[in-house]
Parts: sequence; C-alpha cells; structure tokens
Amino acid sequence: MKIFPALTSLALGAFISTSAAADDAAMIEAGAETFSTYCATCHGNNLESSGQTFDLRKLRASERGRFQNSVTKGKNQMPPWQGVLSEDEIESVWRYIRANAYEK
Amino acid sequence: MKRSSFTAPLYLAGVFTLAGIAGAAAQTTADLNKDQNTPGDVLVYGMGPHGQRYSPLTRINKDNVKRLVPKWSYSMSDSNGAEAFPLVANGMIYTTNHISTVAVDALTGKQVWKVTHDYPPEILRIVCCGIVNRGAAIYEGKIIRSTLDNHLIAMDAKTGKVVWNVQSPGISAETGYSMTGAPLVADGVAVVGVAGAEFGIRGFLEGFDAATGKHLWRQYTVPAAGEPGHETWAGDSFKVGGGSSWVTGSYDPELDLVFWGIGNPAPWNPRGRKGDNLFTNSVFAVRPKTGERVWYYQTSPEDPFDYDAVQTPVVATIKVENKPRKVVMQANRNGFLYVLDAANGKLLAANAYDKMNWADGVDMKTGRPNTTESFKKALAGENVTIWPSVTGSTNWQHMAYSPKNGNLFINVIHVGMTYQAPEPPKNLAMGKPTGNGTVKRTTVYDDPNVLGFLKAVDPMTGKAKWSVPYKSPNFSSTMVTASDLVFTGVMTGEFQALDAKTGKLLWSFQTPSGIVGQPITWEKDGKQYVTIMSGIGGVYAMRSGDPNLVNVPTGASLWTFGLFDK
Ligand code: HEC
Repeated sequence: MKIFPALTSLALGAFISTSAAADDAAMIEAGAETFSTYCATCHGNNLESSGQTFDLRKLRASERGRFQNSVTKGKNQMPPWQGVLSEDEIESVWRYIRANAYEK
Repeated sequence: MKRSSFTAPLYLAGVFTLAGIAGAAAQTTADLNKDQNTPGDVLVYGMGPHGQRYSPLTRINKDNVKRLVPKWSYSMSDSNGAEAFPLVANGMIYTTNHISTVAVDALTGKQVWKVTHDYPPEILRIVCCGIVNRGAAIYEGKIIRSTLDNHLIAMDAKTGKVVWNVQSPGISAETGYSMTGAPLVADGVAVVGVAGAEFGIRGFLEGFDAATGKHLWRQYTVPAAGEPGHETWAGDSFKVGGGSSWVTGSYDPELDLVFWGIGNPAPWNPRGRKGDNLFTNSVFAVRPKTGERVWYYQTSPEDPFDYDAVQTPVVATIKVENKPRKVVMQANRNGFLYVLDAANGKLLAANAYDKMNWADGVDMKTGRPNTTESFKKALAGENVTIWPSVTGSTNWQHMAYSPKNGNLFINVIHVGMTYQAPEPPKNLAMGKPTGNGTVKRTTVYDDPNVLGFLKAVDPMTGKAKWSVPYKSPNFSSTMVTASDLVFTGVMTGEFQALDAKTGKLLWSFQTPSGIVGQPITWEKDGKQYVTIMSGIGGVYAMRSGDPNLVNVPTGASLWTFGLFDK
C-alpha cells in the first residue's frame, strides 16, 4: 500500500490544489458523465463490468498513481487519454470510480 | 513507420502485377457468385453473396451430430472479441482479428502464415463497440481486409505477403472514422463500410478495385448542402450526422446490386437534429462498379435510440402472395423484420419479431413506422421506457435463412431501457463522442434469466415457429444446413447445434471462451467440417455488465469440428 509514497502524494497534491473547492457530489456527477462519454464502451455502463476488460471498481484508494499513469499513457488495448481529458476530468472520473469501488 | 516495406509505389506495382497473374485462376467473380453451391470452399462473407448462411451439405445430420468432435483448435494469441467470418480456400482457413490476419491448414490447424497489422493506440479512443475485425474477403488469390486505422490491405493468399495497402482517402481517427467490417467483393470491386456514428462522422460506403486497391467511388450516407435529403437535417446538424456502414452487406449478381445497411444518426440525442435525417437507418442498393444508389428504404426516421439498419440484408426468392419474388430481408435493430423487393426496394412486409413499444406497425403505403406516444415523448426529452434497448432486437450478429424450410434463424436480444434525452449536446465535432454520453438510460428486463432468444421466424409474418430462451443474448451468428441443423454459439462458450424444425438442442460443445463468432461449414475429401471462432468481446460483453458473464474467460481461438472417425 505504501510502496510509492512519493508518487502517491505527488498525485494527491496535484488534484487537491486544482479542485479543493469543488463540491464532491458535483465532481462525482461530472465524473459519471465523463465516464459515460469516454470509458463505458469498454469498461461497462455505470462501471458494471463482467470483467473481460479491467473492472475499474477493483481500484483501491492507494492506486491514484497507477490510475493517472494508465489513463494518460494507455496500456495494451487501453488507449492513452493524454491531451483528450483534462486533469480535472481525470480527477472526476477517479472520484466517480472511488465512490463505486468494491473497497471504499 | 509501420508497413514501410510495402509502401514504395514502384515495388508495390510490381508485386501486384505478378500476384495478379499467379492467382488469376482462383476465386474469380464467377466463383464468388456461385459460392453457396460449392461447399468445398467458403469464399464470401455470409457463405455466398446472398448472405443466407445456408449450406447444401447433409453429411452431418440429426442422427450423427452427437458424434461431432473437435479436430483442432488454433490460438489467436489475443484476448479481444473473435467476431470474424472464416474463409476456406486452397486447403486453408483464413481469419482475422483487430491486429492480425492468419492462414492455417484446414485439416490440421497448423499455422501457414500470420501477418500483424500494428496501429496507433489512439485509434482505440474511437472504437465504440469492441476491439474487433469481422473478417476478410478473397479475390483472385488475394486476402483483403480492413483495419481499425482505415487501411485496406491485400495479402497473397499463399504466402501472406502484402500485395497492396491503401488508406481510405481523406479520413482519419481524429475525425472519428474506423473500420471493423469485412469487405465484400462484388464484380471485382471491394465494397467497404466505415464505423464512427458514435464519434460524429459523415458516413459513407466506398468501393476499391479488388485487384489493385485503386479507390473507385464513395457514396455518402448524409447529404451535403444542395444534395437531396439535406433538408431532413435541422440547421448544421448534418455535419456530424453519423450514418455509418459498419456491417458487411450482400450482393445479387443477377440484378448487379449490392445491398448494405446504413447506421444511426449522430448524436444519439435527437433533439438537435429535427427531421428524418436521411439517409441514416436505411437499406441501400448500390451498383458495385460505380456506387450509384439505385434505391434506398429508411427504417427509422429521426431515431433517438441508435436503431442502426446495419443488419446484413439477406437475399432470397420467397413466395409473396403466392408468387416467387426476389427479396431482401432484414431483421432490423428496431424490432421490425422487413421484406423488400430486391429490384426496387418496395416494402412487402414489416412485422415485429420481438417485444417493441416505440412503434405500432409500419404504414405499408408510406413505409414509415407508426410511432407511439412513447416515441414522441422520447423526442420531447421526457423519461420513457422503451423496447428494444439501444442495443436493438438484433445487433450485428447475422441471421441465417433456409430456402429448404423457409425460416429465418435469428438470435434476438430481449432487453429494454428507460431513456431520456436531456438538453441536446453543444460543441459537437467530428471525432468527438456523440453516442452513449448524450442520453440517459438504464437497462430493463422482463425476466433477468432470459435476455435473449434464438427464434425460427417466418419472413412474411415475423411470427416465430419456435423460440429457445437464453440467459444472455447470443451475439454469435447462426448458420443452417440442408440437413436441418442450426448452428450458433453462446456467450458462455457453448457451440451448439439445434433442430431447425423444432429448436431442440442436439449437440453442444464447451469452447474455452465466450462465442461472438460466425459458424461456417465446408467439405473436403468426402467429409464435412464446421468451423467457428471462440473469444468473448464486442459491444455487449464490454458494455452490458451482464452478471451471467462475470468471469467468462477471454482468449480468442479458431475451432474446426468433424464427425468422430472410428
Ligand atoms: C477501447 C477500449 C477502452 C476504452 C475506451 C477505455 N479503456 Fe481502460 N482499459 C481497456 C483495456 C483493454 C484495459 C486492460 C489493459 C491491460 O491490462 O491489458 C484497460 C485498463 C484500464 C485501467 C487499468 C490499467 C492498469 O493499471 O492495469 C484503467 C485505470 C482504465 N482502463 C481506465 C480507463 C478510463 C478512465 C477510461 C475512459 C477515459 C478508459 N479506461 C477507456 C480498454 C479501454
């Protein structure tokens, strides 16, 4: 869990400074919309995945760095989203995923 | 850069001239046209240009089908959906996925060649419905396929060597276009469609010279300013109008017409594009040499529900008012089974073949659906419950038609939805998402344990002679033989044979992944074989979250079955 403390706090620091003022519910709602627009076709309507593509609800609170990395750079058949999604949008999707995660 | 070794024009010209001569004896237009009657090979998508998926073979029959066993299987080394239609020629089976084309020995399953087609990862941002490819065409010794990044590539059928590689002119992933469908070669022209109505494309159908790859024509599905039909789009809405053509069509050599289904308007949210939105959700009949549109028939005007008319129109001569008539039949996503005169597109029948509430029949004079209150409320932005869902009563999975028993064999999706179109989206642009995110919906079931049926349907009435329920809808295509066997695959991996007369399950084999593929049958040295790909993926598996599919393993493979030799 605490394997990459530097990376995690860096990522956390980045989003707290850009969105500390944002209302969390509004952020989750915005994340749901971004997810539905860009991610649902591969990761399932409303995050409901039958697991053939990575089930995003498996992501744990400590994996913000992993999330940032995969979403911006891509991985195998996961396309890179750098330049398409803003940092705020990525953060909102993260909050939406976390709000629906298996492990809160 | 990728494919660099085959891009020098001089070298390319030299190669295709030689290959053209070497392969000229095989898979001619005449061979392709009579494919359905030559079961020693499978040369055309749909098991013949009419797309009937019917085989005259009878060696495997109701009495011995229990002895059907795997002869070999071949790994595609991939975990995405295996939706391709395999071809059989030269003693080899050819198949594809999103990234490779392979040839394997038809009797042993040993790989003969494999070509990999790398593509830029960004293209996957605009893939709406699975990271897939639905197969290749074969013509005069060449295997021809499309790629996600809009290339059409011809390979020497014997060696896999790339003979030509062309890009669809002027389009790109940045503007939302991709290709997943199998080309259809008709009269020497490789007809190809595009995907991207979920990303604001202006759709079209186009033709390439199947010998050289030369681009011959393009027929747009959304009319530009000044063209007929343009007035059916409010304001500038036509600019991102959609109208893809992502599922392969059929061909009638006698009429010299290619029949092709056209996809949904973009965005899904209809409120900013008032009007019929021609020529989205239509069946086209075009001349293969020129692309001239001889007739069209629109199935769902001003569509809020992603009711693509992309199902392959199946050509057959059937009895209409007691007279034989050449028709095209389409089990449309919107829930109606259409029968149209193949020569002129005249509507002959349109009947519901599963539950629907957006329309109450079709006006036989105008050909327009009699839309219900629910439909009108949906257009007005109200929250409504609609059958079928955006996935449709069918999706891309193909039906089969038996000229012997007169029925269509349709894998039906039995799922509804709540639906609401909020304020229409602003800032639409080609290449930006125009699908899922533009409406709000949830899934509705009658019975959570029955989300699909395999039905034997009478074309003229839409009535089912028999109907077999499935826990998840089948996204496999069907195939029917003269021995009255229907073959299909199940999302949880079973490959099945059913009695075409009764629907009784006669045989089932558990493949290692879910099946979303297309069964074919062929013969060699007096023995009949059945071939299909296994490998879950595609739109339903990725998007639905169907609990019945949790933990169904991924992994694409190609399978061939034959009767057990004592
Ligand atoms: C074209 C299909 C596709 C789309 C669209 C897509 N993904 Fe993915 N995603 C995948 C696939 C496939 C994987 C599994 C990658 C692997 O491990 O091979 C994946 C994996 C992931 C992972 C886990 C990667 C890891 O660290 O193992 C995250 C996080 C993710 N996706 C987030 C997103 C988000 C957020 C979006 C929308 C902005 C999105 N994806 C859109 C296909 C897609």
